Amino acid sequence: MSIVPKETIEVTAQSIGITNLSPEAALMLAPDVEYRVREIMQEAIKSMRHSKRTTLTASDVDGALNLRSLEPTYGFASGGPFRFRKAVGHQDLFYTDDREVDFKDVIGAPLPKAPLDTELVCHWLAIEGVQPAIPENAPLEVIRAPADNKIYEQKDGPLIDVRPPVKHVLSRELQLYFQKIAEITMSKSSPALFKEALVSLASDSGLHPLVPYFTNFIADEVSRGLNDFQILFNLMHVVRSLLQNPHIHIEPYLHQLMPSVVTCLVSRKLGNRFADNHWELRDFTAKLVSLICKRFGNTYHTLQSRLSKTLGNALLDPKKALTQHYGAIQGLTALGHNVVRLLILSNLEPYLSLLEPELDCEKQKNQMKSYEAWRVYGALLRAAGLCIHDRLKVFPNLPSPSPSLLHKGKGKIISAETRKRKLSADSSQNQLPHKRLMTTTDGLRPQDHTGPAPMHVDKPMGKKGNESESRHQNEKERGKGRVITMKAILGQIWKDDLDSGRLLVKLHQLYDDRILPFIPSTEMSVFL
Amino acid sequence: MDPEQVDEFVMGYLKKKGFNSDGTSFSSIDYHNDPDLTKLIRSFSQSENDPSRYREGYSKLRSWGDNSLDLYKHELLRVIYPVFIHCYINLVGKGHTQEARAFFNSFRKDHEMVHLRDLQKLEGVLAPSHLQEMEFARSLRQSKFNIKICQCSYDLLLQYLHRTESTLMLGIINERINFQVYSGQPNSASDDIESVTISGSFHETADHVNQKEIHWGLLEDSLEDRLQKTGGLLSDSEKGQGESKADSKKRSSEIGKQGSSVKKLKKDKAGNATAKVARQETSMALSTTPRVKPELAMPVMSTDVEESILEDLRNRVQLSSLAMPSVSFYTFVNTHNGLNSSSISHDGSLVAGGFSDSSIKVWDMAKIGHAGSCALQDENGRRNYTLLLGHSGPVYSATFSPPGDYVLSSSADTTIRLWSTKLNANLVCYKGHNHTVWDAQFSPSGHYFASCSHDRTARIWSMDRMHPLRMMAGHLSDVDCVQWHPNCNYIATGSSDKTVRLWDVQTGECVRIFVGHRSMVLSLAMSPDGRYMASGDEDGTIMMWDLSTARCITPLIGHNSCVWTLSYSGEGSLLASGSADCTVKLWDVSSSTKLTKAEEKNGNSNRLRPLRTFPTKSTPVHALRFSRRNLLFAAGAISKPAS
Repeated sequence: MSIVPKETIEVTAQSIGITNLSPEAALMLAPDVEYRVREIMQEAIKSMRHSKRTTLTASDVDGALNLRSLEPTYGFASGGPFRFRKAVGHQDLFYTDDREVDFKDVIGAPLPKAPLDTELVCHWLAIEGVQPAIPENAPLEVIRAPADNKIYEQKDGPLIDVRPPVKHVLSRELQLYFQKIAEITMSKSSPALFKEALVSLASDSGLHPLVPYFTNFIADEVSRGLNDFQILFNLMHVVRSLLQNPHIHIEPYLHQLMPSVVTCLVSRKLGNRFADNHWELRDFTAKLVSLICKRFGNTYHTLQSRLSKTLGNALLDPKKALTQHYGAIQGLTALGHNVVRLLILSNLEPYLSLLEPELDCEKQKNQMKSYEAWRVYGALLRAAGLCIHDRLKVFPNLPSPSPSLLHKGKGKIISAETRKRKLSADSSQNQLPHKRLMTTTDGLRPQDHTGPAPMHVDKPMGKKGNESESRHQNEKERGKGRVITMKAILGQIWKDDLDSGRLLVKLHQLYDDRILPFIPSTEMSVFL
Repeated sequence: MDPEQVDEFVMGYLKKKGFNSDGTSFSSIDYHNDPDLTKLIRSFSQSENDPSRYREGYSKLRSWGDNSLDLYKHELLRVIYPVFIHCYINLVGKGHTQEARAFFNSFRKDHEMVHLRDLQKLEGVLAPSHLQEMEFARSLRQSKFNIKICQCSYDLLLQYLHRTESTLMLGIINERINFQVYSGQPNSASDDIESVTISGSFHETADHVNQKEIHWGLLEDSLEDRLQKTGGLLSDSEKGQGESKADSKKRSSEIGKQGSSVKKLKKDKAGNATAKVARQETSMALSTTPRVKPELAMPVMSTDVEESILEDLRNRVQLSSLAMPSVSFYTFVNTHNGLNSSSISHDGSLVAGGFSDSSIKVWDMAKIGHAGSCALQDENGRRNYTLLLGHSGPVYSATFSPPGDYVLSSSADTTIRLWSTKLNANLVCYKGHNHTVWDAQFSPSGHYFASCSHDRTARIWSMDRMHPLRMMAGHLSDVDCVQWHPNCNYIATGSSDKTVRLWDVQTGECVRIFVGHRSMVLSLAMSPDGRYMASGDEDGTIMMWDLSTARCITPLIGHNSCVWTLSYSGEGSLLASGSADCTVKLWDVSSSTKLTKAEEKNGNSNRLRPLRTFPTKSTPVHALRFSRRNLLFAAGAISKPAS
């Protein structure tokens, strides 16, 4: 009859020393106990409301007891709400989680930090009825068009369904922000500031209203600034930051962004100066492409197929410049090994035969051209290597070719790299500090087994464009040393992982002859 | 029941009523052969003995009501609730505790929608002694429900009760319900807020109280008045008379000094001025409101203060549904759940917080704003607020006097304290209440203040007296909030008994009772023209009341948690509300009053939707204040989002 069972009354009576309580008395008391508890809770809720809270705390109950001129319950004065635990085996029995604490620990513990003092901070919740998108305000879910009173007025006239264009309202702050970012992106003077801007773009909430403006801006500036390498690079950085921002929903604007990105990947000419390292830009953009495909490939089905079609066309058109081929290869590589196998490896043989004359130092007098050819060669190598690596991972038990063949192929891959180093030595020089190189080679071991060797070796190559003459010799020596140690490591790995695919054999055949004469005797000896 | 039992019962009944004769004289009445009479006696005997009769009768009535025609259904169902309550109370009163609980639990779902809080209160009543003790139950037993019902529904109900011979139900309905029968078609279901009311126990029904006359107009010679005059003068000067601004200012200050002696003269002037210049639409609206004389002796305002106020009023931004205000939000951080109340001074520069550790902290935002608050504190290692210590219990309110030179605080230690913001010291401690003082508010002109308490009274004080000047008693539960009428002649109080009352300050009489809230009233605001009042409750409902008719103009639905605070904009066109659901909402009240006037004829009041909602970042809004220039200030303590 009462929600307080008489057992509770009996237990409570025992706990305060009344042992001879009759069951009838307990039964009589139970309804009254319930009534009193409800009464106290009613007062406690009043106390809670006046403390402007919506959770009841122990202090509210104390306040209610005070109002009834009763002694408050001691020992429950905690800051936060209580955590109750369910007693095992009982349905409706709860207890507070009160851990036993060793007195020694309490004494020995360092003094707790003083709680922070109360402070008052001020911000604009709204300016003339519009909430500014600042971190202090709750994020806005939807951009609302302003309530237009004209809609209602029109209804008085003939009944025509006139839909007024939705006004896109941009707050003053956002406008200023956009102007500033655009300014910084277009100016080449302050890289530090630009970095800050990128961080802001990648992390700030409330930028969503600006996305259409940014995509427009990027598209405009890419088409206008094809000659200015630095601006293109900055713009691609902006694209990456926008992609990284978790608060931005960029998908609807991808179709506007992609042309600009692909332009930066496969355009014939990026930048007009010799010193402009357009290779780096292409590599960066390729990474961007892979990022986009990974994130939106699932939701945006035609994205990948359209991209690979565009890039494949660029690659297989012999009239296109080598730089364009390079970009296409890098882009395709970024799309994953399936695309590489389908579009690059199937066309590798004819393509290499086409590339061969360009690669030959003797035949190709134009050093620039030859350098470009070798870049393409390196990119192809990397694509093939990555593809093989992935395949090997997928099919670990393919029939293995003879170890000797393997060793040969291995040697070739490495030596191709060395040879390129030599080729480019005239015009360029390695700028990367030695230490970094060592770490990259070290980093090879855990994650990459066979294929990525060319990839990682290729990386420093990409930086070669702006080397200075003076340190050239020194670097070359070091580079050699590095290659040797790396080969040792790779040899180890290869021994571990003797399985390889037929593809590898094919690749080996393709690359074999061209490379052998360039292998230095010292390196040969390591392999033999 | 066979005839012998009937005999036995009749004899027993007669004995109980004091007829001690052997009963032979009654045997001559042949009730055995009269079937109707037997049935009647039978039903009496059953009602006496059997608690299940209540359940039976009630459930029959309920299913009958449910199956009645849609047209009359909502009216008939109104009857169900009082019957339910009194069935339960009767069962408890007769000691059938178990049956009472079972009855209550099986039917409580029917009424939870509307009467949840009453049910929660009654649920705990399990013994006859509780009925005596509990205020709510007592008031239920002592008073009647008023139910408006149309003639047709009333007839239907009576027919049913007679046909089924459920005397028990008929008894309850006769005893507890006061029908107000009207002719014509039944009302639509939407306006049922006032159709079921509990009238007060002291013969003073709400209706009766609400007949009293009130003067809701603005004070004569208010600053608004003066603004119009000076405004008129200003625009005169703009027209090219070459009269300087200083001149007009001087004139207004003269008016202030001379006080009431030149009132007549001024009235003429005012008339001229308003006739000449229709400066602003809203000031026109304010000027059309009637003027009343102050009942209290008004304090004299210093000329500096008056100047600054006039200056503010002149620069006031006009707000409407198209011109929204700017909102400046003060966020309390690191309060450790200890902030009980906060308030903002009329110019927005001072912010006070009342804490549960009995301290009051006052921030001067004008100083902090320039220096950058965090840096200031770190450098000096000092607090950037003023700490006021003196109370010995949680501080439930801390409010500023209109010029911002005093802070008034009320606490659980039953005292009210007056602090000076200039001296940063306690000036007076007012003792008088017997229990926790929930709220204290300065009158619009300063000097006088009102307080309200758990002891169910509201009191009027003046700053220079230790003891209260007036005591307002009448609420049936805690008085939770208090607000002054702009003309200082009335105060409004909101209570846990779910009513709002308006009291005459001079006589101390209750002049209006506003019934309609479904839970505890937490916040009140008066429109600047003194005609309307808004009240917000625990459930998130805000009600707009017309003071003169004591009717709800329109409920403002939108919040889904406690409405802590309400504030009218300077010219009364917008109402801002702050709630525990972490939003500030703006309501266009000028249009709502117009709309309902137009639609009153149609008979359906449309519910107003918020004009604009500003969500905060998990910060419940504790205080709101429109400054005199119509900048909206809001304050609240940030609470960590529940993980």
